[in-house]
Amino acid sequence: MFIEYTWLVPLIPMLCFLIIGLVGRKTPEKGGYIAIAGALLSFIIAALIAYEYLTGDAYPNPVTEQIAWFQIGDITLNLGYYVDGLTCMMMLFSSFISTLIFVYSIGYMGDQGPRKTRYYAEVSLFLTGMLGLIVSSNFLEMFIFWEVMGLCSYLLIGFWSFRHPEGDAASANAASAAKKAFLVTRLGDVCLMAGLFVLLGEFHSLHSLDYVTLFDPSSIAAADPEMLSLGMLLVFGGVIGKSAQFPLHDWLPDAMAGPTTVSSLIHAATMVKAGVYLTARAYPLFIQNADVMLFVGIIGGVTAFIAATMALNNMNIKKVLAYSTISQLGYMILALGAGGYLVALGMDMGGAEGSALVAAGVAGYTAGCFHMMNHAFFKALLFMCSGSVIHAVGTEDMREMGGLHKHMKITSITMLLGSLSIAGFPLFSGFWSKDLVLEIAMEAGSDGTVWFTVLWILAVITAFMTAFYMFRMWFMTFMGEEGHASQHCHGESPKTMTVPLMILSVFAVLSGFFIMFGLDAMVSFNVTDTAFIVGGGHSEGFYYFEELFTNPYTYLTIVLALLGIGIAYLMYVKKTVDPGRFNRNGESWLYKALSKRWWFPDMYNQISWKFGYGIAKGVNYVDRQVIDGTVNGLSGAVVGGGDAVSKMQTGHVQDYSSVILLGVAILSVAMVAIAMFFGGM
Amino acid sequence: MIPIEYFLILGAILFAIGAYGVLTKSNAIVVLMCIELMLNAANINFVAFGAFNDDIIGQAFVVMTISVAAAEVAVGIAILLNAYKMRKTTDLDDAELTSMRW
Repeated sequence: MFIEYTWLVPLIPMLCFLIIGLVGRKTPEKGGYIAIAGALLSFIIAALIAYEYLTGDAYPNPVTEQIAWFQIGDITLNLGYYVDGLTCMMMLFSSFISTLIFVYSIGYMGDQGPRKTRYYAEVSLFLTGMLGLIVSSNFLEMFIFWEVMGLCSYLLIGFWSFRHPEGDAASANAASAAKKAFLVTRLGDVCLMAGLFVLLGEFHSLHSLDYVTLFDPSSIAAADPEMLSLGMLLVFGGVIGKSAQFPLHDWLPDAMAGPTTVSSLIHAATMVKAGVYLTARAYPLFIQNADVMLFVGIIGGVTAFIAATMALNNMNIKKVLAYSTISQLGYMILALGAGGYLVALGMDMGGAEGSALVAAGVAGYTAGCFHMMNHAFFKALLFMCSGSVIHAVGTEDMREMGGLHKHMKITSITMLLGSLSIAGFPLFSGFWSKDLVLEIAMEAGSDGTVWFTVLWILAVITAFMTAFYMFRMWFMTFMGEEGHASQHCHGESPKTMTVPLMILSVFAVLSGFFIMFGLDAMVSFNVTDTAFIVGGGHSEGFYYFEELFTNPYTYLTIVLALLGIGIAYLMYVKKTVDPGRFNRNGESWLYKALSKRWWFPDMYNQISWKFGYGIAKGVNYVDRQVIDGTVNGLSGAVVGGGDAVSKMQTGHVQDYSSVILLGVAILSVAMVAIAMFFGGM
Repeated sequence: MIPIEYFLILGAILFAIGAYGVLTKSNAIVVLMCIELMLNAANINFVAFGAFNDDIIGQAFVVMTISVAAAEVAVGIAILLNAYKMRKTTDLDDAELTSMRW
């Protein structure tokens, strides 16, 4: 009875967007309360839908309903909703976290005056994009919302692109960050669109892009496997752009130019989660080829590692968090890739051994989705804490902070909880999902290919680095001596900001336990001969608890995480270890490479200047010289010819009569000649 | 009897002189006179062919032509006189006169 109204979930924020955009200026808090109400209503409806679906008869089969949108030839494109376990989980945490972020915005954006209307309208539209993407019933509808989010991220990252509180340079920085985010993700979007064309071409006999039709094993069997792999690689290109995976990850740190609440929204509830969601959503198509999944896994593992290295020496509190997001997204993609690799191998192999591999592989799906949810909670928390700190001290540079713990206790403690969670401290949420990711990577390494063993090693090192840089950040901000910005600290942030922090910190600590109470069944991936179904698996309960704590490698990562925290403590609180010794006071090659982000921005610039600009110049040349040249040349020839011919019209009777005489003379000569030739005179 | 070629050659020469004058002279009155020369060259041909073929129609045409030419000269001279009154010139290349075209 609620599932029929799934379309309301994205529609309500959409209506909020319209209302705030039209009359938001006249409402209290410039539309802020409308945005909160919309997000909260979406969350309530999503919760009702999830409850009804999960307890209903249809579960675990997806519930989908669509109306025809338009027709091209014999291809029918539909609009509709598609509800399964994954949809439920995503809807719930996206709308829930967004609600908290909007509440927090009341405090954080409170001093922005009339610009708040624009802010609340855009975040509502952003939420529409994410929720619409989640409930979409086909690839085209998904793509539309995907692009809506791209637009909103551009608008929000560039929110301060004029009249920035810190002056014109910061405005220009915001504007260029927004452009960069838009253009880099655009590269991925073009790949995604090409992938959809390939899929449409490959499944042309089905005349649709609907999930229900495409995920049917019989229609997948009818498709050409090579074209399908090509299509999925292109779709994954879209994921690389949206989820900031290597090598298109560089827009995300720059996107920190937007307000911190926007970063929180982008990193936790929307935008970058869309790529991971798409991978999970299109899993039935992805797992058809083991090599595609290997590629996915490699991208994920490399991203996790590279992003973590860049966070090690960054001095900007928000950028450290941005790199940690990229790194954690890499974990999710790695889990999906490693699990999918095993599933793909198992499906090829068949038999009992094959089904054992499939059974092992689907754990990767659960691990990836589980980590996505946990990450959403602790990353939203961390960003909002950093926002609270920035709000209080007015700078983002960690060297100017320090000793803030006694000024802002709530922020400090909630951020500590978030940091422990992301660092993988035992029993915190990040611990559960991260160790599941590591476990599946190792399993793919031992049962599949040695590549995954390499990726597992990278991921374990990443876990160590994560613990180190998160605590480096926390110690630099809240412990040690007071920096000069800390001395002007305004004290703890208002209640609208601290209450969401406290709510989220509860989730950041406890959401890991969800997996023991049925979440693993809800987002499990089941492979049968007749269907690929998300949800409805058998809940393992405390199996994970036992599994993780009997696995010696879990202790390895725990020890590494503690070691990372310990080193950070020694370096930044006790000061017994001087970080300058390792980087020769910022002179070492590695330190410079990290500060320059492994030269990725330079590489982007080079590519866009040499390659992109070259192509643009070529196109410009063709346009101006060849196309315009043809048109201008034609008109020029006509005008010039007319000018030349008009000279003959002298206006002198005598000239005309000479021409007539000449004509008559030629005619007479011709007539005589013809007569002589034919008449035989 | 004088051979017909002589008449034709006389006509051709007269016509050529007339055409030359029409094409080169800039004085409108001379041009009108040259047109008369060309007409009369045609008249000589008419008369010569009529006499040699024993046909009266040639002479009849000549009478017609002369009367039409007279009317033409009357109109042409009248126009020229008025043009001269207005612009004080009969020079065909003179901007004073050519500017009357539009």
